[in-house]
Amino acid sequence: MNQGSLLQRLIARPEAGPFVLLLVEIIVFGSLNPDFLSPENIGNTLAFTVELGLIALAMTLLMTSGEFDLSVGSVFGFAPVLMWTLFNGGIVPLNVAFVAALAMAAVIGLVNGWFVTRLKITSFLVTLGMLLVVRGTALFITQGFPQRTWSAGGHALTSILVGEFRVGRMRLYMSLFWFIAAALALGYVLTGTKVGNWIQASGGNAGAARARGVNVDRTKVSLFVLSAVMSAFAGIISSIRTSAANPNSGTGYELEVIAMVVIGGTALTGGRGTVIGTVLGIFILRAMRNGIILVGVPGLAYNIFIGAIILGMMALHASLERRHHAGT
Amino acid sequence: MAGELIRMEHIHKFYGRVHALDDVNFVVREREIVGLLGDNGAGKSTLIKVLSGAVPISSGAIYVHGRKVDIRRTSDAIAQGIETIYQDSALVPQLSIARNLFLGREPLRAPHFLNRMDQAAMDEVARRLLRQVGITKDIPPSIPVSALSGGERQAVAIARAMYFDSELIILDEPTNNLGVAETQGVLRFVRAARDSGHSCIFIAHNIHHVFQVVDRIVVMRHGKIVADDIDPRHTTIEAVEQVITGMSDAELGTAAP
Repeated sequence: MNQGSLLQRLIARPEAGPFVLLLVEIIVFGSLNPDFLSPENIGNTLAFTVELGLIALAMTLLMTSGEFDLSVGSVFGFAPVLMWTLFNGGIVPLNVAFVAALAMAAVIGLVNGWFVTRLKITSFLVTLGMLLVVRGTALFITQGFPQRTWSAGGHALTSILVGEFRVGRMRLYMSLFWFIAAALALGYVLTGTKVGNWIQASGGNAGAARARGVNVDRTKVSLFVLSAVMSAFAGIISSIRTSAANPNSGTGYELEVIAMVVIGGTALTGGRGTVIGTVLGIFILRAMRNGIILVGVPGLAYNIFIGAIILGMMALHASLERRHHAGT
Repeated sequence: MAGELIRMEHIHKFYGRVHALDDVNFVVREREIVGLLGDNGAGKSTLIKVLSGAVPISSGAIYVHGRKVDIRRTSDAIAQGIETIYQDSALVPQLSIARNLFLGREPLRAPHFLNRMDQAAMDEVARRLLRQVGITKDIPPSIPVSALSGGERQAVAIARAMYFDSELIILDEPTNNLGVAETQGVLRFVRAARDSGHSCIFIAHNIHHVFQVVDRIVVMRHGKIVADDIDPRHTTIEAVEQVITGMSDAELGTAAP
């Protein structure tokens, strides 16, 4: 294969556009305000980025299977509330509360998946309903007040999940490694495994997949569970890092996460997904949010830029998709 | 005469109060291409769905090589060597040719707990199969099926059924929306499948295509089989059309026993 065709193949990949956009962002923001690339700023930005990123990684697989989950933000808020309520009330030890919160999230994912696959209701409606149920439950059990989390200071679990360490002047958290591990594992699953083939087939042509003996429903239900558990995991990490489990936290995250995934090149209609693209999408949005504040653009204008990026990336991906279908 | 591959006896299928299949008796022999014809709503699709496990029968019995089998799911049909290629939906457009060929039966590399597909083995088999079904163009097995023509997609689906030794290949409207040359290609693939020992049920609205390839024609109307042993070499298209529309049963076909 010659270099020209290798370059063409790289450009034709869905990740190429997001990669270039991220580079442009880094160069523009870095040149307008050198603090953008300072170790302190990178460390601060990464802390929350990887938490949202954990949800986006799971959402990538779910969206590849042709579904999506609007309840992730509410689970992000609810799971830590449940965990800290159980622990602060002296009902169970912290480790058990942690497992219970994840298990509850798994049940939420199971219910989402059951409604979508058995009752054939679209995931939009099912997960919108679940969003309200879960958020309402979090508000109800806390009466709207945040739960204390600092009572767990020094507990091994908090160190494992979100322990702080420094690389030079950069402050980082263990959650970064959880994010890297999840990205590697889910990227491998999606591209290299039989399960990944089934996920893509479920989203690309569920009828054909079923005709080949693929258990489409079980595949989708598993991904709803994964999405909910990862949201809970991210919410718990976030609650420990910020020392607060707020029943309102995570509001609006669902749309930001879906935006990250589609900007990265995963098809909203299912069938094609890219974990690498999602990682790029995560950094594009978070770098944008951080960068426009650093260069002095009012924070309230953030959504204008995000909307423009989404539209631009959708146009690019649509063009790539047409070429893909044409086999060029 | 070749032995029986499939026998369906007294099959009934109800969708609510709709009697979609009404006491259907249907036989497919070994190495035989059966053309299944009928107007819209005649029951062809339901019969195929029952046989492929997409919907369960309400009553009746299905035999494979004389042994009674229970087909309630697609996986049951596949286990019995019955492969269905639905019109436009047999393949996943976004997946590569190789991954489509092995969808549901992907070979794994050791250690198996890592669930890693053996991509090299899949690509190698795909290349060989594409040549076997007569695709002479040099098509890499890694390209997505969406980049193939309609005829090439049918070829991939048929190649898959042949590779996995499906004894019965059900083709639902395989020549729809295809050009003349592509249609001839698909008919060639179907004959190749029969010559290598497979049986086929061929459903098409275009009777000309059916006449070119099948050994026997079965006609359905209002959920019943109204003719089950029409020899295309000894009749005309017009006569079969009369049976399909109900203008003539007696001259051509006898209702199944």
